[in-house]
Amino acid sequence: MISQLFILSSKGDRLVYRNFRGDGGDDVTDAFYRAVTSLPGDQAPVFMAREGQHFVHVRHGGLYVGATTTADTSPFVLVEFLNRLVTLLREHCGTLSEKSVSVNVALVQELLGEMVDFGYVQTTATEVLRSATHGEPETTKAFSLLDLRSVGLFGAETQQSRVAPGSVTNRPVLPPRGEQGGRREVFVDVVERLTVVIAANGTPLKVDVQGEIRLKSFVPGACELRMGLTEELSVGTEEQCGYGRLPLAAVAFHSSVDLEEFEQERVLRVTPGPGEVTLMRYQLAEDVAVPLPFRLLPSVEWEPAGRLRIHLKLRCDLPPKNHAINVVLQLPLPREASSLAQELSSPEQTAELQGGGRSLRWAIPRCQGGAQLGAVFRVQLPPTPPLGLGPAALTFELPALTVSGLRLRWLRLSAPPGAPPGPPQRWVRHLTHSDSYVVRL
Amino acid sequence: MTDSKYFTTTKKGEIFELKAELNSDKKEKKKEAVKKVIASMTVGKDVSALFPDVVNCMQTDNLELKKLVYLYLMNYAKSQPDMAIMAVNTFVKDCEDPNPLIRALAVRTMGCIRVDKITEYLCEPLRKCLKDEDPYVRKTAAVCVAKLHDINAQLVEDQGFLDTLKDLISDSNPMVVANAVAALSEIAESHPSSNLLDLNPQSINKLLTALNECTEWGQIFILDCLANYMPKDDREAQSICERVTPRLSHANSAVVLSAVKVLMKFMEMLSKDLDYYGTLLKKLAPPLVTLLSAEPELQYVALRNINLIVQKRPEILKHEMKVFFVKYNDPIYVKLEKLDIMIRLASQANIAQVLAELKEYATEVDVDFVRKAVRAIGRCAIKVEQSAERCVSTLLDLIQTKVNYVVQEAIVVIKDIFRKYPNKYESVIATLCENLDSLDEPEARAAMIWIVGEYAERIDNADELLESFLEGFHDESTQVQLQLLTAIVKLFLKKPTETQELVQQVLSLATQDSDNPDLRDRGYIYWRLLSTDPVAAKEVVLAEKPLISEETDLIEPTLLDELICYIGTLASVYHKPPSAFVEGSRGVVHKSLPPRTGSSESAESPDAAPSAGQAAEQPAVIPAQGDLLGDLLNLDLGPPVSGPPLAASSVQMGAVDLLGGGLDSLMGDESEGLRSDVGGSPAMGGSGFTAPGPAAPAAMGAPLGSGLGDLFDLTGGVGTLSGSYVAPKTVWLPAMKAKGLEISGTFSRQVGSICMDLVLTNKALQVMSDFAIQFNRNSFGLAPAAPLQVHAPLAPNQSVEISLPLNTVGSVMKMDPLNNLQVAVKNNIDVFYFSTLYPLHILFVEDGKMERQMFLATWKDIPNENEAQFQIKDCSLNADAVSSKLQGSNIFTIAKRNVEGQDMLYQSLKLTNGIWVLAELRIQPSNPSFTLSLKCRAPEVSQYVYQAYDAILKN
Repeated sequence: MISQLFILSSKGDRLVYRNFRGDGGDDVTDAFYRAVTSLPGDQAPVFMAREGQHFVHVRHGGLYVGATTTADTSPFVLVEFLNRLVTLLREHCGTLSEKSVSVNVALVQELLGEMVDFGYVQTTATEVLRSATHGEPETTKAFSLLDLRSVGLFGAETQQSRVAPGSVTNRPVLPPRGEQGGRREVFVDVVERLTVVIAANGTPLKVDVQGEIRLKSFVPGACELRMGLTEELSVGTEEQCGYGRLPLAAVAFHSSVDLEEFEQERVLRVTPGPGEVTLMRYQLAEDVAVPLPFRLLPSVEWEPAGRLRIHLKLRCDLPPKNHAINVVLQLPLPREASSLAQELSSPEQTAELQGGGRSLRWAIPRCQGGAQLGAVFRVQLPPTPPLGLGPAALTFELPALTVSGLRLRWLRLSAPPGAPPGPPQRWVRHLTHSDSYVVRL
Repeated sequence: MTDSKYFTTTKKGEIFELKAELNSDKKEKKKEAVKKVIASMTVGKDVSALFPDVVNCMQTDNLELKKLVYLYLMNYAKSQPDMAIMAVNTFVKDCEDPNPLIRALAVRTMGCIRVDKITEYLCEPLRKCLKDEDPYVRKTAAVCVAKLHDINAQLVEDQGFLDTLKDLISDSNPMVVANAVAALSEIAESHPSSNLLDLNPQSINKLLTALNECTEWGQIFILDCLANYMPKDDREAQSICERVTPRLSHANSAVVLSAVKVLMKFMEMLSKDLDYYGTLLKKLAPPLVTLLSAEPELQYVALRNINLIVQKRPEILKHEMKVFFVKYNDPIYVKLEKLDIMIRLASQANIAQVLAELKEYATEVDVDFVRKAVRAIGRCAIKVEQSAERCVSTLLDLIQTKVNYVVQEAIVVIKDIFRKYPNKYESVIATLCENLDSLDEPEARAAMIWIVGEYAERIDNADELLESFLEGFHDESTQVQLQLLTAIVKLFLKKPTETQELVQQVLSLATQDSDNPDLRDRGYIYWRLLSTDPVAAKEVVLAEKPLISEETDLIEPTLLDELICYIGTLASVYHKPPSAFVEGSRGVVHKSLPPRTGSSESAESPDAAPSAGQAAEQPAVIPAQGDLLGDLLNLDLGPPVSGPPLAASSVQMGAVDLLGGGLDSLMGDESEGLRSDVGGSPAMGGSGFTAPGPAAPAAMGAPLGSGLGDLFDLTGGVGTLSGSYVAPKTVWLPAMKAKGLEISGTFSRQVGSICMDLVLTNKALQVMSDFAIQFNRNSFGLAPAAPLQVHAPLAPNQSVEISLPLNTVGSVMKMDPLNNLQVAVKNNIDVFYFSTLYPLHILFVEDGKMERQMFLATWKDIPNENEAQFQIKDCSLNADAVSSKLQGSNIFTIAKRNVEGQDMLYQSLKLTNGIWVLAELRIQPSNPSFTLSLKCRAPEVSQYVYQAYDAILKN
């Protein structure tokens, strides 16, 4: 059970605080902030113990969202709840930022009152909370450069993406009461995360594709939604998979999804209230050959006096009509490099040394399918024996593409009786981004 | 935050301003004012001065405003209890409101106001709300009972709320059921003995039905409650498992883990031959793997749990190695956990893959991660023998990089590899020696010195190397100093001619110039050993060391079983039982896995063994008839024959004890030393939370013991090995029942032979002669090894002490009680019968010391239902004293660990008939009661072993 809950700004100011069980002092937030900031590095442990209290926290949008407990509570409950809280705050306040939270304190407090009673989580369902709360969200129009992180796809925790209608999803899910207006929209995102390890000889050691179908609805009231998935889909590994099939190793559906038509026709049916929900999570079977988007062909020469010449050739193996954006290649160097000379193939690319010279960063804003990019770097290293370089790590986003090939064929909405005329806007977005794409040298 | 309209500084004027707004007639203005108050309160400003004004806003139809006012009340009522009373009427009225949201809100808020006066008013509304027609109100009221119980437990019991709460378990609304379960579970925790959550098949069925319908969070309450249920047999366990399994595919990881906990626990009860058992195992893997694609925080928690699960049931995830490979962008805490699990899953089948990964990791940037990866390579070598060679060459490659911390870690693990595979990889020593100068961490220096000392004969310049360390002796850490001392002594014993000066130097440094008692004592011991008898010294110092195994970094089997019960709780994150970190009474009830049922084995449990009728007549004199005794009557009682001289029955216990103590402390010290030898074993690299200390090595084997024995033989001339504990003599056969012959006696064990020490007293008026003795068949085949020798006839009122040697080659028949011995004694007058109970420890043989790895394997191998637990009360000895005392009676301590202030002794003993008994003795410093857990393939002996422990420790 949760004893206390708090949201702190990145500077440690208390934005929201609630004591559910009347135990523990009110100074926990200070104690927590001291504990978090006194740690070296920025990867604080998920759990910290202090005088019989256990802190757990997650970080989102620069805020610390944390809870304490004194009992032997399920850590999964704590972390899941905090994550859920973050999602709900986004739904209700639009974005999650210091400003949006502090402006909506009363609403947040009201939500917390319904969500948790005496430390026991009661509900996190948007529609239930909607019926039980009465506060109105105050929207913040803030669009500062600092908030850039939260722009873009809600489904993908990526840096930035200029793929989708930008900040349209960053508004409260619920239109102000009494107003029938607001844009009635439904967003469905198919987001895949790619984890790849490529051995030095170019053979893929591990290819792992995890995907999610997420839905965010701005339509008030319930409306039935049907979506057709790629028909080649098959679930389970035992099943015989013929050519061109798309076998999934594991699939989990949200409890609200009606699977009656899934077995036969690969149709998901769901009647969502306003809010965000992950309809389906899946994992591609291991033995499927997924076309890899990038190949890296490195060649490294050691020149005398600690000079290292690195020639990188990056080939984008996407179909020509697709492209990758925000491609960043990170190459750890064996020793602190003191200087870098570069030859890049186009002016919009950049390269720099990072981490005090411990790694090389090559950024490519956009890369068309089939393109081949080359770069030559000369690095000055302290005199050391020749050492291994790498592994190189790539991050990128592939808009309008799922590497697995799983797509939404169609999306139909049937509005409930009494809804305003005209179908709501439907947006279907596909995206693949790199979770961990490592090329060993 | 200053730009927000609610956040302005609380100057005095502002409070006044708010006060005015709160008392405004305009509703909208009022609400905005309350919002401002709440905003100030939330950021921690003191707005309690506005209490009366805010309470005045309470009577309103606006639910939003009401909620805000209630929130304010919850926060400040405790500091202003008298004012809070003003609100009571509104509360009571709101509990009757037609709107269920308001009723629920009122009862919820009242429960949060921890003021006694308000609590009194809460009872009536609460009683109504518990029976409200609206489920939303009922579920709120259910939690409110728990709140009230937290404030005033007595009140809740007196008012009968607990019974109402129990009724709610059968409620039609699943959310009400879930909250009632949560509330009852919490209340039950503070009354461990009460039968609040009276779980039976019917109520379980109701819970399982509610499970399918309630919210995800409610499912967690119910699953956690189910985990505490003990199904009556394997069929019930299976049917519950079947109904819980669908939860494994839930999107909420907390639901998944709570389900995993239930399944892991109930699986214990299922027979492994069952098809269903295999199915269940297969079903557990995918949800665990899926958790690894969640947010890093959840991944971390999941990995900590998986770490436990793979130790308990490695088969679940044995094919899933790849998912534990580290991603470059994982947070460091996830990376370290993944490494740990990779090692646990490493096997011959996947070792090549694992090694390739580890080698990559060892070249990464993060220092902590790289260190752990290098250690992991060493652990692979120790765990999978076939990979050792490849591991060593990988480590050598890494040493070539000359990266300082990589080299140091590599040397520490290579030392462990030497310990595991002696005389196999010593060819690499030369390479190691090249890096001597770059070592600056104590652990690495100590490891290197150990290697130099251990293999001094193969290193030409070993003396120079060690001498170079000696220069800065006093600046070294203790670990290095101790190691250096031992290494130089080893060197001296191997190359005595060239190194005399060196050894003298180190001995004087250690004994004269050091303040460290450990170092000084060790120095003195070496000094004395060397000056008295170099041959003995050689045997002691260069004794063969026991092999180390990878098991060192596993969690204790008993702790692991307990932790499995806490899957999905904080205990699984910290890898400590909740009693170690939860304050107060909550959660200190020890949980244990259910025993496996469905086989006939359980019928043989120790409790079931003695049947009532037989047990009653235990130590009484046997009635003089019965077929059993037939062969006793046909005794062939020949004339006394002079046999071999018998061992002296009286041992100078005092002297032996003194010496024994001395020996023990010597050995203790030495094993300390060796422990730091072994110190670098993989466990040391464990993560921050659980650092099971490096276990004492499987101690000094027989050669060392006898070496020391010899030594003291030479020096002191007192050459007696301490015998096992001997109970005082008791009267076995009273004179009344044996025509004047009184027999008292006891049993003893010395140097491997068992003796029955008898005193025969003639209380009759005539002379007794022609004594003879015979035993009936008994459980362990005890029989006299020589005839009973009474050399002269026994005159009236005369006694004779006899020590009768026994052996265990007689015929065997299971007796009841097990240690019952029926004896017939004949003299010139008649034949007399009596029975006596012999203490089991006379059957503990001298080679009852189990190899460490054997011990762990056996402990795991013996099924849990064979484990018996006993309490040894009122014993004030400390662990070392206990260990030495038990050793005297051939109960051997294999390892000692300190877990959270408790000493855990792992012991083994062997009975004359080859039965092994494994023991775990838990000693808490403040508690005179020890807990003894015994595991044995023949569980019926456990009870008698416990009696032996008890007798030895209390004397």
